[in-house]
Amino acid sequence: MAVLEVKDLHKQFGQTEILRGIDLSVNKGDVTSIIGPSGSGKTTFLRCLNFLESADKGTMQFDCMTLDMPAVTKKQILEIHKRTAFVFQNYNLFANKTALQNVTQGLITVRKMKRKDAEEVGMKMLKRVGMDDRASYYPIQLSGGQQQRVAIARALAGDPDIIYFDEPTSALDPELIGEVLKVMQSLASEGLTMLVVTHEMSFARDVSAHTIFMEGGKIVEEGPSKELFAHPSKQRTEEFIRRIEK
Amino acid sequence: MDQAIQVMIDSFPKLLAKGLLMTVPMTILSFSLSMVIAVITSLIQYAKVPVLRQIARFYIWLIRGTPLLVQLVIVFYGLPALGIRVSPYWTAIIVFAICEGAYCAETLRGALEAVPYGQTEAGYCVGMNFQQTMWHVVLPQAFKNAFPALSNSLISLVKDTSLAANITVQEMFMTGQRIAGKTYQFLAIYVEVALIYLLFCTVLTWLQKKLEKVLNRYNEKEAR
Repeated sequence: MAVLEVKDLHKQFGQTEILRGIDLSVNKGDVTSIIGPSGSGKTTFLRCLNFLESADKGTMQFDCMTLDMPAVTKKQILEIHKRTAFVFQNYNLFANKTALQNVTQGLITVRKMKRKDAEEVGMKMLKRVGMDDRASYYPIQLSGGQQQRVAIARALAGDPDIIYFDEPTSALDPELIGEVLKVMQSLASEGLTMLVVTHEMSFARDVSAHTIFMEGGKIVEEGPSKELFAHPSKQRTEEFIRRIEK
Repeated sequence: MDQAIQVMIDSFPKLLAKGLLMTVPMTILSFSLSMVIAVITSLIQYAKVPVLRQIARFYIWLIRGTPLLVQLVIVFYGLPALGIRVSPYWTAIIVFAICEGAYCAETLRGALEAVPYGQTEAGYCVGMNFQQTMWHVVLPQAFKNAFPALSNSLISLVKDTSLAANITVQEMFMTGQRIAGKTYQFLAIYVEVALIYLLFCTVLTWLQKKLEKVLNRYNEKEAR
C-alpha cells in the first residue's frame, strides 16, 4: 500500500526550473533511495515533499490526505510534519538542547506527553541508535556521526509514517559514515518507511529496495535497486553508476 | 575638606536608599517591559508580518531618532494638554521602556537572524509551529547571542534613570542635587552619586559574567 504518492511535481527558483514533473510512489515499509549528480534536484525534491520548499505544481497523496501542493494550508503542513520526520545533511540538532532534549522536544511540545514519559521514550530512541550514553551531551560536544545518530533518534521519536533523509552522511568524515549507515540499515530491517537522498551507492544498492536515478529535475530511471545497479536500462544511468562506483 | 567628607558620610544612607528604592525598581520595571516590547517587535520583523512590520519599523525609527530627555518631557509636560495625565514615576518607567525597547528590538532582531535557519526548519520538522519553534529553539539561542549587548542596554538604563529628575521624580540624582544645593558641597555630593551608580553597574557587570556562564553551557566543548 502506498503511504506517499506524488504526481507531476514542479518547482522553480526564479527562472530556473529545478523540478520538471516528478512522480513518486512509496510503499509502506519500503526503503527508497534517490541518487543522481549534484544539481539534479534531489534535495529540493525531498524538501518539497516536507514543505520546507513550496512546490509550484503537483499533487500529493499522503495516507488518506490528498493535497494540491501549491495550495497547501498551514494546518495541513503541520499535520504532515507530525506524521513525517526529516534528517538533514548537517544534522540541525537544536543547539541549545541536550541529546535527550532534542529527542523529547517534539514529544513534549507537539504530542503533549508528560516529561517523564517523553524521557523514557527518548532514552529508548537514543538506545536504538547507540547514543544513550551521551544523553546529557549538547550537540557541540558530539562528533558529526554522533550528532546524526541523535538526529535519527529525534526523527524516530514521533513514530513517523515516513522518514526523509537528505544526504545524511555527506557532511561526515569518511570514518564516521559507517556508524550512521549501520543505524539506517538496522532501521530498514525493522521495516521503517524511508526515502533517502544519498551518494552512498552501497546503501542504495544493498539496503534500499527501490532506487530512483534523477537528473536535470526529472526521474531518468527507477526500479528495484539490484536490477537498476546491475542492468541499468538507460545509458545515462549506467554512466553515472560506473563513474561514481570507480 | 573635612566638611566635604562629613557631608558625604551623612548623605550616604539617604542617597543609597533612594538608589535602592527608586533607581533599582525603576530600572527593573522599565527593562522588563522593554524586553517584552523588544521580543514582540523583533519577532514581528523576523517573521516579516505585514503591516505590523511597518509599524515596528516606524516605532524604532521614531524612538531611536529622538532624545530620551525630549521624549520624557513630551509625555510629562506635553500630553496633559491632550488630557493624558500619568504620574511622574510611571511616566518615567513607560518612557524608559519604550525607548529601551526600540534599541533592544534591533539587538534581538540581529541575534535572531544570526541563528541558522536550519534550527527553525528542524523545529518545523518535529511538528512544532512557528511560535513553538521560536520559543523553544530560536529565541533562547538569539537571547544568548544578544546577552552582552542587552547587558549594555541595561547598564546604560541604570544611569539614564537619572533623567527622570527632569520630570520631578525624586530619584537618587535629584536627591543629590537637593543635598548639594543645601550644603554647597557640589563636588563631593555629585562624585558620591556617581560612585553609587558605579556600584550598581559593577554589581550588574558581575551578574552579567555569572549569567553568561550559565547561558554558555551549551557552547562548551567539554561535557560536564
